[in-house]
Amino acid sequence: MQLYLPIAEIPVNIFLILGMGGAVGFLSGLFGIGGGFLLTPLLIFSGIPPAVSVATVTTQVVASSASAVVTYIRRKAIDMKLASYLLAGGVTGSLLGVILFDLLQSLGQLDVVISLSYVTFLSTVGTLMLVESIKAIRRRHSGAAVSVKRPGQHNWIHGLPFKVRFRRSKLYVSAIPVLGLGASIGFLGTVLGIGGGFMMVPALIYLLRVPTGIVIGTSLFQIMFTMAAATIFHAASTQTVDIVLALTLMIGGVIGAQLGARMGQKLRGDQLRLLLGLLVLAVGLRFAVDLLLTPEDFYSIAITKGAGA
Amino acid sequence: MSARWLLLWIGIAALGLISRAEAEELVTALSAEMVSIQSNFTGTEIVIFGQISRDTNTISRRGKYELAIIVEGPTQDITTRRKGRFLGVWVNRDYERFLNVPSFYAISTTTSIGELANRDLLDEYQIGLNHLNLAVTGKSDVPLSERDDFRQAFLRLREEAGLYSERQEAIEFLTDTMFRTNVPLPANIPVGAYKIKSLLFQDGALLSQTEGSLSVAKTGFEQITFEMSRDYSLLYGLIAVILAIFTGWIAGVIFKKD
Repeated sequence: MQLYLPIAEIPVNIFLILGMGGAVGFLSGLFGIGGGFLLTPLLIFSGIPPAVSVATVTTQVVASSASAVVTYIRRKAIDMKLASYLLAGGVTGSLLGVILFDLLQSLGQLDVVISLSYVTFLSTVGTLMLVESIKAIRRRHSGAAVSVKRPGQHNWIHGLPFKVRFRRSKLYVSAIPVLGLGASIGFLGTVLGIGGGFMMVPALIYLLRVPTGIVIGTSLFQIMFTMAAATIFHAASTQTVDIVLALTLMIGGVIGAQLGARMGQKLRGDQLRLLLGLLVLAVGLRFAVDLLLTPEDFYSIAITKGAGA
Repeated sequence: MSARWLLLWIGIAALGLISRAEAEELVTALSAEMVSIQSNFTGTEIVIFGQISRDTNTISRRGKYELAIIVEGPTQDITTRRKGRFLGVWVNRDYERFLNVPSFYAISTTTSIGELANRDLLDEYQIGLNHLNLAVTGKSDVPLSERDDFRQAFLRLREEAGLYSERQEAIEFLTDTMFRTNVPLPANIPVGAYKIKSLLFQDGALLSQTEGSLSVAKTGFEQITFEMSRDYSLLYGLIAVILAIFTGWIAGVIFKKD
């Protein structure tokens, strides 16, 4: 069944989109990730214009985070003060992101920047995950005790000025890295169409030393609002948010996420991370191949003025 | 025969020539004046009917009537880019901007385009893809020798997208003077005001032409959504966010585990 997308101005197969939303939702439930970094590439590879894919996925990330945030609010596993600092950074980053996005689009270099960024981030993150999970699996097999201690009490970050106390996280840390982290992830999320949870969670644990019990809820809460801001910025500036596409993805996504979450409880954490690492690397490689191989068609066209611009 | 008679004959012949230029009249009608795009839109087809009427005084001519019917969409400026290697990676390098080109162009003819008329006439009336006037910006960096590559690539990409097409021998004569043709409109058709130009040729001469109009518009939900995203973009963004939070929240409540 075909569905006409009012902003992308193309018809798509509704089951294909529901399926993609569902599959990515399943993986996000399975691995506890937002899935934007998988969904945006999938949409691009299936022929949705990159600008529409990126902007629309920011909306979809709002929905997928919201459904999980409900649970964390109920469990009170969110540090609201930390989240609001991250959010302040995130909204600023997102605003800068949308300005860059608009500029790149008018220069005709948006697609290549999106591809290059995906290659860089996905291959780095994918390799790190892979290495970490293989180590964990080896440790488990050799029977060594897996210590879950929080690494070292202090690092360079704790020497920075403008310290703020975050009671819920039992932290007394400079506001600079918190705002900076929020801004970087808000910026990347807006340009690349990703929530950034897969970067935010490790950063909160290893850089800021936020207790693990609070990390995911806080990260999700912050991502939900940053991506909400990104949606509004994209809608106002690049005008590429397709509400019909977003809704279709959301419906597929929330159902898939529930199935994934149930499945995830049956698998080991290190095995899950190994699988996720492989998946992330595969998507990164796919972008790399597109950039490095001689293109089938050297030419492309873009409407710069008039109907459909 | 006297000189007066000769003059009279010349006069009659001259009148005949003048009336010959306006002797054929072309009338066309469309199967629909408006194409509406809704959520289930996957492309459509319009049928163009027409009749050639000839006044009774006109002497029947030797040559066959030939027709060209052009469906043309609203104009756009389009940037055509070419990839090149930069630090080992393929990126967009050179570009050429075509100004005021039709967003949609479909031509149906009774015969091959080259046989309708001579090159000058085809260029003048922009009959056929090779005769489209693709004006470029003055500040283009593309060397003259490569301009044609961009032009060809532009036409090829538009053809591949189904937005430009040439359908030769696609006009069917129902009687000697009545004709019809079907023009497919693809799903990715741009919205706006379309022109339908019909041109009648005989022996390489343009006998008559007429122009009709067709409107392609989003209707209902598609129209409201699109217009809102353009005219009230902030509100549109807010609605998208509220919709997302609501959907997520509902899902979180329905599927709550604990």
